[in-house]
Amino acid sequence: MKKHDRLHRLSVKLWLFLAAFLVFAFFSNDFGLVDIQKTAVILAAGIDKGEDGYTLTAHIAVPKGSDRSKGGTSSVNIKGRGDTISACISDIYADTGWVPKLVFCDLLLLGEEAVQENSFLVLDYFLRNEQMPDSCQIAVCEGSAEEMLSSASAIDDTSALAIEKLLSDAAEKTGQLTRTTLREFSIGYYGVSESGKMPYLGSKTQSGAESAQGGAQAQDASGGAQSGDEKIYEVRGSALFSQGRMVALLSPDETFAYSLLQGEVRSGTFLAHENGEAVTLYVYKNKGSVSLSLGDVPEAALEVVLRVRVADRDGATDVSDLTSSIPSDALLQDATAVITQAISSLWARIGESECDLFQLRQQLFRHHRGEYELWRERLLSVARPNISVTIRPVE
Amino acid sequence: MKTVSARQLCFFLAFIAPVGKLILMPSQIVFDAKQDLLFSAALSYLLQSVIVFLVLLAAKKDKTLFALLRERLGTVGARVALSLLALFLFLAALLPMLEQKLLVQSVFYDTLPSILAFAPFFLFSAYLCFHPIAHLGRMWDILMPFSAVGFAGLIALSAGAADFGALLPVGASGMGAIARGTLHSLSWFFDSALLLPLLGRIEQTKRLPLKGTLCYLAGGGAVLLVLAVFYGVFSDIALRQLFAFSRISKYFPGVAVLGRIDYFFIFALTLVMAFYCAMPLHAGVECLKQAFGDTPVRAGGYTLAVNGVMFTLSVLLNYHFLRTQTFMTHTAAWIFPLFPALLVFVLLIGRKHEKA
Repeated sequence: MKKHDRLHRLSVKLWLFLAAFLVFAFFSNDFGLVDIQKTAVILAAGIDKGEDGYTLTAHIAVPKGSDRSKGGTSSVNIKGRGDTISACISDIYADTGWVPKLVFCDLLLLGEEAVQENSFLVLDYFLRNEQMPDSCQIAVCEGSAEEMLSSASAIDDTSALAIEKLLSDAAEKTGQLTRTTLREFSIGYYGVSESGKMPYLGSKTQSGAESAQGGAQAQDASGGAQSGDEKIYEVRGSALFSQGRMVALLSPDETFAYSLLQGEVRSGTFLAHENGEAVTLYVYKNKGSVSLSLGDVPEAALEVVLRVRVADRDGATDVSDLTSSIPSDALLQDATAVITQAISSLWARIGESECDLFQLRQQLFRHHRGEYELWRERLLSVARPNISVTIRPVE
Repeated sequence: MKTVSARQLCFFLAFIAPVGKLILMPSQIVFDAKQDLLFSAALSYLLQSVIVFLVLLAAKKDKTLFALLRERLGTVGARVALSLLALFLFLAALLPMLEQKLLVQSVFYDTLPSILAFAPFFLFSAYLCFHPIAHLGRMWDILMPFSAVGFAGLIALSAGAADFGALLPVGASGMGAIARGTLHSLSWFFDSALLLPLLGRIEQTKRLPLKGTLCYLAGGGAVLLVLAVFYGVFSDIALRQLFAFSRISKYFPGVAVLGRIDYFFIFALTLVMAFYCAMPLHAGVECLKQAFGDTPVRAGGYTLAVNGVMFTLSVLLNYHFLRTQTFMTHTAAWIFPLFPALLVFVLLIGRKHEKA
């Protein structure tokens, strides 16, 4: 009996040992140990297309050493060239001996040339890459991505971090940009709408800027500190895509109208007029929807409902005027006209570009399957918009 | 003789069996059936639940599989049938084992780990195989909470990111595509075969076949829910998303602040999967024990041989996974419902052998 008990206890111990060993082997991730001297932790990647193939600019985080007097993040930009994105990555490895690691890459920046033809020639590699997070932000930039990523930010340690702040969740709520992740863009591209959007970024020189907070440490591939003017990055609208190709650029007003229709604006502002005086209205609450219905011809109901208050006027108000933040009926009428105009302009842009920004083909496919083939090709050109804008004051 | 209780059996059917369908099966079905993946998976589940019901009916005879087969086919016939069932179970183990290996290497490691990262599975499996099959019952008791928490956590974190409208329009892929989706998912449905070596060791309670089948269908409901969320999250790129269950929850808004908290649930389900992957090997070894004797030396021999062969296969097939998957899901798919069904029909309606 004692022998049996001993064997049983041994059996349980062996069982626990094996289970622990299995868990250890499966989930240890080699303890996440990364030889930083041999690994390039890519924070952002810029892709440009030229006559001789692709150029991938990897924005790589590097250790700052033991000097604790300097905070912040250091980075270096390494360029790889090749006929495919994979070849560019291999080129970086061959040139530097660093193993590029995409698992922390939060931004893919496409240069203008890269989106003149199917941008999925570029993005496909990242979507298929198991290590690449498909939740990373993607954007198009004016000029080349290499130039933008290599420029020195006036407000942050590195250009990539400054751009990522620009594309933050909070920024999206202002309605001035529409963020897109790799997953969302891919779903749009492979879906029946074959359309998508990305923020369109530009930069402007910040004259007389001091060095960035924490001591900007971005360097080019040769190791030298970057020279030249420091930049401030800005969103200049939204790039529209059809079948992976950039087909139009929405203005900031049209981008704002799109955000309102998505119901995503929570703290945005827009300009209206009252008695010739400019007034900034603050959006407290926003509901928006776009729905397709089929009659003789397809009709798209574009509906926006807003709650606003006056944020600022181009003129001083009396200190005793406690109702100055409540918009008047005349101001609300003008605001309604402004938003309606922006939505009309947005609709016209979509019709011209054949970018199914509102996923109307998807709605047609999902809810009107029988008539999908009939309307699929010409839906965007024949659909009539029915715009409804309701703006109420916050009292 | 130690038996598996009705409660433990229901835990297996409702909580353990579903986890084997969460790695590659979702993207495999999407490849054929697209947004109609739920129909394909439901058909596979219905087909398998019928066989599970029949196996549990056979279990009411309260005799071991070998004893039942010997009554119908004689001793030699029973040994041949059990050997074939063992081969079937080893074949069934191959795809879950290889997909689990890929999952561990791809999801839990940032860089490609050495092949040894998965090797402990075979030590673990060998230890399991050496024990009598009725020990599974206690194991299912322990695994049930891991599975329940894993499923509930993943659904809670991922449902908010899903656009269930992506499942529309219903039936648009057509019956042919739905049938292909069903056919190509059959290689993940071998749960009835796992129960066969347990015959004679299942505690009999009132209406166990019905209760067991309902539990199996309830587990199927949980799988369908995961599939719906999976397609809702990934829509038209779902077929490219291998390791479905490990991907759907990372879009939870809290992940950006707290980090990958969803890994708690993914780890829990992966742990259950490790046990589930070893079960066909355990059941196969049990078949050999019943057919050719279960002395400790023989049991050790079968265990070492089976796990040694599977380890070798996992190494040899390291660079041939797609070909292996295609073979299992296309070429050999029909075997998975047919063989257990055939065996259980022999048990239920076969004429008794003259020498029995």
